[in-house]
Amino acid sequence: MPDDKPLLALALVFMPLSLLSIGGGASLLAEIEHQSVTLHAWTTQREFADLFAISRAAPGPGTMLSTLIGWKVAGLAGALAATVALYLPSSLLVYGAARLWGRWRGSVWHTAVERGLAPIAAGLILSGGIAVLRVAPGGAAVWAAAVASTALILCLPRLHPLVLFAVGGALFGLADAIGLW
Amino acid sequence: MTEQSIDLRRTGRIGLPAIFAAFFRLGATSFGGGTAGWLYREIVERRHWIDDKDFLAAAALGRFMPGSGGVNLTVQVGQRLRGGLGALAAVLGLLSGPLAIVLALAVGYTKTSQISVVHAVFDGVAAAAIGLTFATGIKLVQFRAASAGPLAVTFMTVLCVGVLRWPMIPVVLCLAPISIGLAFLKRHRHHA
Repeated sequence: MPDDKPLLALALVFMPLSLLSIGGGASLLAEIEHQSVTLHAWTTQREFADLFAISRAAPGPGTMLSTLIGWKVAGLAGALAATVALYLPSSLLVYGAARLWGRWRGSVWHTAVERGLAPIAAGLILSGGIAVLRVAPGGAAVWAAAVASTALILCLPRLHPLVLFAVGGALFGLADAIGLW
Repeated sequence: MTEQSIDLRRTGRIGLPAIFAAFFRLGATSFGGGTAGWLYREIVERRHWIDDKDFLAAAALGRFMPGSGGVNLTVQVGQRLRGGLGALAAVLGLLSGPLAIVLALAVGYTKTSQISVVHAVFDGVAAAAIGLTFATGIKLVQFRAASAGPLAVTFMTVLCVGVLRWPMIPVVLCLAPISIGLAFLKRHRHHA
């Protein structure tokens, strides 16, 4: 990998992932963690967990995590390169497919591909959660809070994620301030 | 605004700046990934730029294809309005707000990352966001909870990518044909 040419390295990592992000950007989380922390050492574990938190708390369609990784590697140019690399290939593909879609939609193969990819997307998204848990430096408290918020979201589907993020941040901040750990 | 949008429909051409502006607003205000819902309200209900039927077809393709469903939907709406330039204006509009916000947050993060309480707050937000990720995955599994084949595929994916940390691309390229084949066979059996 040409890590002496950071923009090229970012493009080479994110462009193929763009075409394999089935079920949305969340399915790439585990692979982005692996590439950023282990393979390229673009971020430390601590930084990755923090950038993940920032990417989820900010507005926008799906993940801006790649943007943040790019920024960490090469500043503004890196942020732009990683964003373009992640969104351009899939956008060109959908642009080309839109014309054919009318004919193909609802066909036997469409149904089979859709149903076949759903369990893989589910597995990739769950793997992403595991990957961030693995690098999150907060230890057992983070694990417990992650399990609790999973249960909360499943039980209260109308709960806004931002409320949960704010509560999580406030609780951990408070615990740190009063020296709980 | 309604009168203006009717006029635009009559002339049949919506300006590229208007497309950029509409999607900029959408991108900067849609939190938690619900872009499709926001887009429906803003583009279909409020501005009448495309109709329900086209929206649903575009949303289905957007979810089906790789990439963010919201971005894919945006590409198609822009394309329908003004072709390639329309798609470009729409996507640039959608992404530039979040890009600026996320980078501003990142700059703020580097300035404060020496303070221990900041890390603690980030740990809390990360834990909640991990919970959101797990919940999304679990909901997607429940979708087909009844049959063993898809559950086995999900299990294999978690085992290979999540636990064993194998690279995602070969794992997906191996499992996708198997899983699609299973779905195809199953459908045939139902109709036999």
